[in-house]
Amino acid sequence: MLFNSTEFLFFFPIVTALFFILPAKVRWILLLAASCFFYMFFKPEYILILAFTIIIDYFAGILIENTVGKSEKRKFLILSLLANIGVLAFFKYYNFINGNLTSLGQVLGFTNKIPYLSMILPIGLSFHTFQAMSYTIEVYRGNQKAEKHFGIYSLYVMFYPQLVAGPIERPQNMLPQFHAKQTFQVDQIANGLNLIVYGFFKKLVVADRLSVYVNNVYGDIDNANSISMLIAVCFFSIQIYCDFSGYSDIARGTAKCMGFDLMVNFERPYLAQSISEFWRRWHISLSTWFKDYLYIPLGGNRVKRPKAYRNLFIVFLVSGLWHGANWTYIIWGGLHGIYVILESMTHRIRNRLNILLRINRARTFHTFLNRMAVFILVTFAWIFFRAPGVDQAFKVMQKIVSFDFSRNLTIISAQKGPLNLFLSFGVIVILGCSYLLPKNLQMKNSALFIAFTTFIIILAGKDVGAEFIYFQF
Amino acid sequence: MSGPNSFIFNFKAFVYRLVLPVILMTGTVGFAFSWYFEKKIILKTSISGAYKVNRILTETYPDEIPIFGSSRAEGGYIPDSLGPAYFNYGLSGTKENVQLFFLEEECKKKKRTPYIILNFDLDGIGYGGGDMANYIPNANIPSVKALMGEQYRFSFRIPFIKYYGYYELYFKYFLNERMNLTKYSNKGASIEKDVLPVQKFNQLVQERKNSQTLFECNSSLKNRLFSLILNHPERFYLFVVAPYHASYFEKYQNLSEATIFLKELAGIKNVRIFNFSKVTYPDSCFLNTTHLNYKGAVLFNRQLKDSLAQIIR
Repeated sequence: MLFNSTEFLFFFPIVTALFFILPAKVRWILLLAASCFFYMFFKPEYILILAFTIIIDYFAGILIENTVGKSEKRKFLILSLLANIGVLAFFKYYNFINGNLTSLGQVLGFTNKIPYLSMILPIGLSFHTFQAMSYTIEVYRGNQKAEKHFGIYSLYVMFYPQLVAGPIERPQNMLPQFHAKQTFQVDQIANGLNLIVYGFFKKLVVADRLSVYVNNVYGDIDNANSISMLIAVCFFSIQIYCDFSGYSDIARGTAKCMGFDLMVNFERPYLAQSISEFWRRWHISLSTWFKDYLYIPLGGNRVKRPKAYRNLFIVFLVSGLWHGANWTYIIWGGLHGIYVILESMTHRIRNRLNILLRINRARTFHTFLNRMAVFILVTFAWIFFRAPGVDQAFKVMQKIVSFDFSRNLTIISAQKGPLNLFLSFGVIVILGCSYLLPKNLQMKNSALFIAFTTFIIILAGKDVGAEFIYFQF
Repeated sequence: MSGPNSFIFNFKAFVYRLVLPVILMTGTVGFAFSWYFEKKIILKTSISGAYKVNRILTETYPDEIPIFGSSRAEGGYIPDSLGPAYFNYGLSGTKENVQLFFLEEECKKKKRTPYIILNFDLDGIGYGGGDMANYIPNANIPSVKALMGEQYRFSFRIPFIKYYGYYELYFKYFLNERMNLTKYSNKGASIEKDVLPVQKFNQLVQERKNSQTLFECNSSLKNRLFSLILNHPERFYLFVVAPYHASYFEKYQNLSEATIFLKELAGIKNVRIFNFSKVTYPDSCFLNTTHLNYKGAVLFNRQLKDSLAQIIR
């Protein structure tokens, strides 16, 4: 089920109302049933994949806890990781690896006879497998007790607000909340609804609006000029932010209404003044996942510099691959890896230069320049993320540097008319103004905020029924 | 504070502090805005499909000569170039079922002039409702609801919410009509002023040359059309085939069937056919291979006016 669907408009209030009506002891049954229903709305049979990993991880957790020896514990952990990564690899990377084998075969002169499989990627697979893996790893590390209640554990993996696109939660945060009794509180619901309407604003008003321009330009790169291409790549930066953070806000809001706190996934990332800060603000649940379960186990930054840089680069490459089975994502991840490494390498030099040139880093202009630099670098990397193939990404760059600034209104407006372009810039301005609101959206007059935002959504929202971009991951 | 009493207390607070104020504020402002928008924007924009549907249903101009058709009519006929009595009811994205709806409504009216112009598309007679925006203000009328088909939603009857996703479109029409920025507007006609870049136009020509075109005729719609014409002999039906780019005919599979259909129509006493399909215009007169731009429309309307002069005096 999509958050931006009519079905959800009925599903959410019914489930929330029932949640508070039912006795606390049986609420997990309602949430689990609702989550199954939510997930099965996409493709019912894929619930079996979830069931498979849930069963394995549930028993793996108990066995890890009950086993005495470290090596024995590790065996069960590996079993759990293999099951999760195996499912992910099969559904997400099988055809990608096979396609690359075929290409390699053409170069080296052998024929790849492994057949291609026609299959649809289970929705949100990368999210719930990562969440499941964090559970067994935490149990193995002794940071989390194994969950004995099978229903509660299933709910930890399947909790519908964050099932298909995160935030990727940790067992320490969610499991105690599922055991606790949630009470009906107006302020909490008001805050939840604030988050939901703000999320819908980001998705329906900003992201879906910008997608009209972006899709048109990326769909016909040959007929774009430098102006339209530049606008499109900048728009995509904002589109993907609003699309994904909008989803996270709705997820947090729906959970909040029932009394559950999900982790904050975005902290206004385009206000970051460095790439490493950007990654502390963007998709925080994934960044911290990679930090805790890949970067630190690799040695983190407590090793010699070249090795630390290698670790960073590996993390970003894997992060790129996590997003999708395509070289474009790997290049995107690699680019961010290079950015962060270069930033770290030049840290001292930049500091010395600042002292030498007496640059006050706290000054507004300096802050503005830093933010611009981060935005440009991130936007450049998004070209690979958005383009359907590497060659297309290079075509986009070619268009930008062709310096074709012809003032053809049809081309500049991406054949969608000047009003669409004007509205696109307009919604970005409204988004900017929304940054004046309190970060957590806790405000006294929620009713006014909800009414005003709903008004804006109905007036300026795009009724395209577009899926969230991150659903495909 | 966690017993049943606290739940009731909190629920009451929830209703009074959140639900009611939100419903009241959104409802009042939304309803007022929606009413104003409908009256002052949607139904005051002659090039908007919603206005055209509303006009054919609710207004009667005894001397008006209506022009019905699809986007080829909307973007090809300039009423003021043809004379003072014409109005362009062309609706882009629609097919003959919608044009029949217009024709049926027109035939119900008592008029002083008998003439009706129908733009005829060579891809045949078929179904296509076009954009729902054309119908929302009149969605409560059964014949309009029928045109919306499966795309009809209950929300189309709820004030304010019914235009969700469409406000921009109506406003776009409104601006186009008043500003004539990229389009030229005239009594329902909305004609593209911009000329496509040569490269893009050639690409469209190539695509057309590579795709097959077929004349397909839905027999029930055909019967409806013929019986309507025969049942209303007091009206005079002028079928016009507006110009196509030459590439349109390169992969046309069954042009003979279209010709037969037109001959069949021409056999009816109160029907005349004006076929401009193969009149050769330069590329600069076309928006794409099936639609004229403003330059082409001016040229075409001059020729059409001369042809119509033989009948309409």
